[in-house]
Amino acid sequence: MCSTSTTTSPEISTLVEKWRGKKGSLIMVLHELQNHYGYVPRDVSLQLSQQLDIPLARIYEVITFYNYFKLDPPGKYTIAICLGTACYLKGAPDLVDEVKNLLDIGEGQTSKDGLFHLDVVRCLGCCGLAPVLSVNGQIYGKVKRSEVMGILSKYKKED
Amino acid sequence: MVQLTRDDLKKVQPKIKAGQQYVKVGMSTCGIAAGAQEVFELFTKEIKQHDLNVVVTKTGCLGMCHAEPLVEVSVEGLPSVIYGRVNGEVAHRIIEEHVCGKRLVNDHIFDLPIRR
Amino acid sequence: MEKPIIFIKDTSLTGDSSREIQTQLLKVAREKGIEDLQVIRVADLGIYDKGVALKICSLDIIYVNVKLSDAEKIIQTTIKEGTPIEDLLLENQAMQTRIVLRNCGIVDPESIDDYISRSGYASVGKCLFDMTPETVIEEMKKSGLRGRGGAGFPTWMKWNLARGSFGDEKYVICNADEGDPGAYMDRSVLEGDPHSVIEGMIIAGYAIGASKGFAYIRAEYPLAIERVQKAIDQAYEKGLLGKDILGSKFSFDLEIRLGAGAFVCGEETALIASIEGKRGTPKPRPPYPSDRGLWDKPTIINNVETLANIAVIFQKGAEWFATIGTDKSKGTKVFAVTGKVKNSGLVEIAMGTPLRDIVFQISGGCFVPENKMIAVQTGGPSGGVIPEKNFDTPVSYEHLIELGSIMGSGGMIVMDEDDCLVDISKFYLKFCVDESCGKCAPCRIGGYQMLAILEKITAGKGTLEDITSIKRIAQGMQKASLCALGQTAPNPVMSTLRYFESEYLDHIEKKKCRAGKCTKLLKFTIVPEKCKKCRLCVTNCPVNAISGDREKGYTIDQEKCIKCGRCFDVCKFEAIARA
Repeated sequence: MCSTSTTTSPEISTLVEKWRGKKGSLIMVLHELQNHYGYVPRDVSLQLSQQLDIPLARIYEVITFYNYFKLDPPGKYTIAICLGTACYLKGAPDLVDEVKNLLDIGEGQTSKDGLFHLDVVRCLGCCGLAPVLSVNGQIYGKVKRSEVMGILSKYKKED
Repeated sequence: MVQLTRDDLKKVQPKIKAGQQYVKVGMSTCGIAAGAQEVFELFTKEIKQHDLNVVVTKTGCLGMCHAEPLVEVSVEGLPSVIYGRVNGEVAHRIIEEHVCGKRLVNDHIFDLPIRR
Repeated sequence: MEKPIIFIKDTSLTGDSSREIQTQLLKVAREKGIEDLQVIRVADLGIYDKGVALKICSLDIIYVNVKLSDAEKIIQTTIKEGTPIEDLLLENQAMQTRIVLRNCGIVDPESIDDYISRSGYASVGKCLFDMTPETVIEEMKKSGLRGRGGAGFPTWMKWNLARGSFGDEKYVICNADEGDPGAYMDRSVLEGDPHSVIEGMIIAGYAIGASKGFAYIRAEYPLAIERVQKAIDQAYEKGLLGKDILGSKFSFDLEIRLGAGAFVCGEETALIASIEGKRGTPKPRPPYPSDRGLWDKPTIINNVETLANIAVIFQKGAEWFATIGTDKSKGTKVFAVTGKVKNSGLVEIAMGTPLRDIVFQISGGCFVPENKMIAVQTGGPSGGVIPEKNFDTPVSYEHLIELGSIMGSGGMIVMDEDDCLVDISKFYLKFCVDESCGKCAPCRIGGYQMLAILEKITAGKGTLEDITSIKRIAQGMQKASLCALGQTAPNPVMSTLRYFESEYLDHIEKKKCRAGKCTKLLKFTIVPEKCKKCRLCVTNCPVNAISGDREKGYTIDQEKCIKCGRCFDVCKFEAIARA
C-alpha cells in the first residue's frame, strides 16, 4: 500500500506546474488531487512533496487538520448526513442511527462491500428541506427514518 | 476582452428586456435539491412545444426555502407572481392555465410583502 | 390595463372557508357585470392567524377576517368603485427590506449584463472617478455599516486602519467560510448575486490601496464556487477586474481560495493561515490583520454580506443607508430562519425589527401550529438563546448582546416545546469541541470537560455542583482562549442556564427531560391494555429486548433496551409508553 515510487504521474506534474510560484497554493493543490483521486493517496503526497519541495510532514499536517481531505479511498457512494442545527432539530440523528444500523458502519467508515461510506457533515445549506442527506452529492430533503432503506436500496440495485 | 468604460455601463441591456414575458426558476443549491433542474427543463421543453414567446431563465434564491422549487412567471396582462412547490404537474398547469389561458393557478402562489 | 385579481387565503388554523368566499365573490362579480375578475386561492400571503385574507392586487390593499357576508360590499365598493373598506384593512404588516438580497431571485447570477443593467458596477465607476480613497472611507463612516460576520466592527474603521498601515502590497479578503450550522445567507448571496460581492471587494481594494483580493469560500459550496468563478471570469472579460478597471488607473486582481472544512477558519487570523496554505490555527491579536495580515501585509477581511451592502451605499448614498435601522445598527440584516418554524427561509429585515415580527409575522410561527414556541437561537455555536418573553426586543447588535446572545452571521433557529434546551446546548458545545483547533488549552480542555459534564447531566447522572463547575469552566474559556471560537463556545450553555435553569434542574434533580429528547432519561414500556400483540415491536427491536408471547403479552427488558425509540415509532396502536 505504502509505495515509495519516485516516478511522477503526469497529472501531478501538470497540477504542480499550474500552481508553481503562487504563494500558499498547497491547499488548492490538495483539493485538485482529491477531486481527481477521491482521496489523497500517500504516494501522491510523497511525489507532491518532492515536486513542490515541501516536507511530507507539512503536507500531512495540513491534510489531517482539515476535515475535507481524506486519506483513505471512499466507498463507491458517499452518504453525507447533515447535522446542522436545523436538521438536528428535525430528526437527523435518527437518520444517522438508521444508516448505521442498516449498513453496520460508524461515522467516517466504509461498509464491508466497499459500496457505502458514511459521513456526518456540517450544514449542507438546505435548511429549508431539513433533515437532509445526500448520496454522492444528490440531495434528499425532508427524509423520514423509514425512507432511508428505500434510498439506499436504489443505489444497491444500480450496482 | 473588452474594456468597458463608465459610460458603457449605462448601455448594457438585461437578458430579459422590458415587456418580455418570462419564467424564472430559482436555482440555488436548495432549489436544485428540491427539483428545480427538472422544472427548468420542463418549462423549456413545453414552451418550445407550444411555440410561446416566453424566455426561461435561472435565477438565485428567492428566499422562501420551505416552498422550493420556486418559479416566477410574468406574462402580458397579468401581474408577475411567484409559484412555490412547483412539480411537473404544477409546471404543466402554469403553462396551460397561466401562460396560455391567462388565468392564474390556484393554491401555489406565494405572495410575500417585500420592500426593495 | 391589468385584469382585476383578488388573492384569497384562509389564514386561520381551523378549517378553510376560502373556497366558499371565492365562489361568492365570483358570483357577486358576475351579477354586477364584472366578467374578467379572477379570484385565486394562494398558498401564502405572509399573513397568519387573521381569518380569511384577501389581497386586491391592482390596488395593493389587503383585507383580513373577511366573512362571506362581506363579499357583496367588497365587489361593489372596492372592485367597482376602487375605495378601500376601512374596517377590513390589515394594519401594519411586518415587511422585509431587501438591500443585500436586492438582486437575488431577480437577476440571472451567471449573467454579468443582468447585474450591470441594474446599476451594477456603477458604484465602482463612481468611486474610481469621482472619489478619493479618503472620501470613500468617509462615506462608509457616514453610512454606519458594521461587519455582518457577527462581531459588528465598523467597516469603515477596518478600512481606515488598513489604509493607514504601511505595506508595498495590501490585500482584501472576502470571508465566505460560512460555517455556522443552520446559516446559509452567504451561500445564497454568492449563488444568487455574486457580482455584488465582487463589486464590494473592488471598492474596498480602492479604499485601502490593495491590488489583490481573495474570496475564501467553503469547499462544501460547489455551486457558489462555480458561480463566483464564472462571475470573476466575466468581470475580467469586461475589464471590471484586472488592469486599469473601467479605464481608470486602478487595478485589482481577484481569485478564489477554498476552505477545507474547518470552522475555525472563519476566524480571521486562522483564515489568513489557511490562505497561506497552512493549518488554520489562529494567532494572538495584536498585531491585527489590518496591520500585519496575509503574508504579513495589511489586510482587511470582510464578510460576504458586508461586501454585498457596499455597492448600494455608493449608489443610493450613505445618508439614505443611515436612515434604515436603529441608532447604532444601520441597514438590514439577512437571517436564515430555520428549525421549528412554518416558513423556513431567508429573511432580510431592517435593523430594529422586533424578533416577534420575524418569527411570527414573516415566518408564520410554529411549524406545528399547536405547539408553543419557547426560544430562538441566534449566532450559532457562538451565540445564545432568546426566550419567548423577550421576543419584543428589536434586533440590533446591542440589544442581542444585552440578552446574552449575539447577532452572529445570521442563523436564527426557532425552537418549540418539543426541543430540549440542555440537548441543544450540548449540540452546540459538541460542535465547538469538534472544531477546536487544539492550539490553546482553555478551549481544547475546557470545552471537552464542559461537554463531559453536559453528557453526564443528560444521562441523568448530574449533580448540582455540576452547574457551578460549568460556570467556572465557562469563565476560564471566555477569559483565556486565544480566539473567538473558544471565547464564545460557552455562550449557548451560559445563555440557556440564564433563561432555562429549571430545565437543567429537571434533568439533575428529577431525572426528567421535558421534551423527551434526552433518550437516556427515557423509559419505554408496553401498555398491556392497548397492545394488540402484533409483534411489530418485537421484530423491529434492534437488540431483541422485547420478549413474551401472544398469551402473556410482551415486555421490554430495561437492561437490554438501548432507548432507540424504534418500538415507539413503529407501534400502530400507541401501545408503547415513553416517559
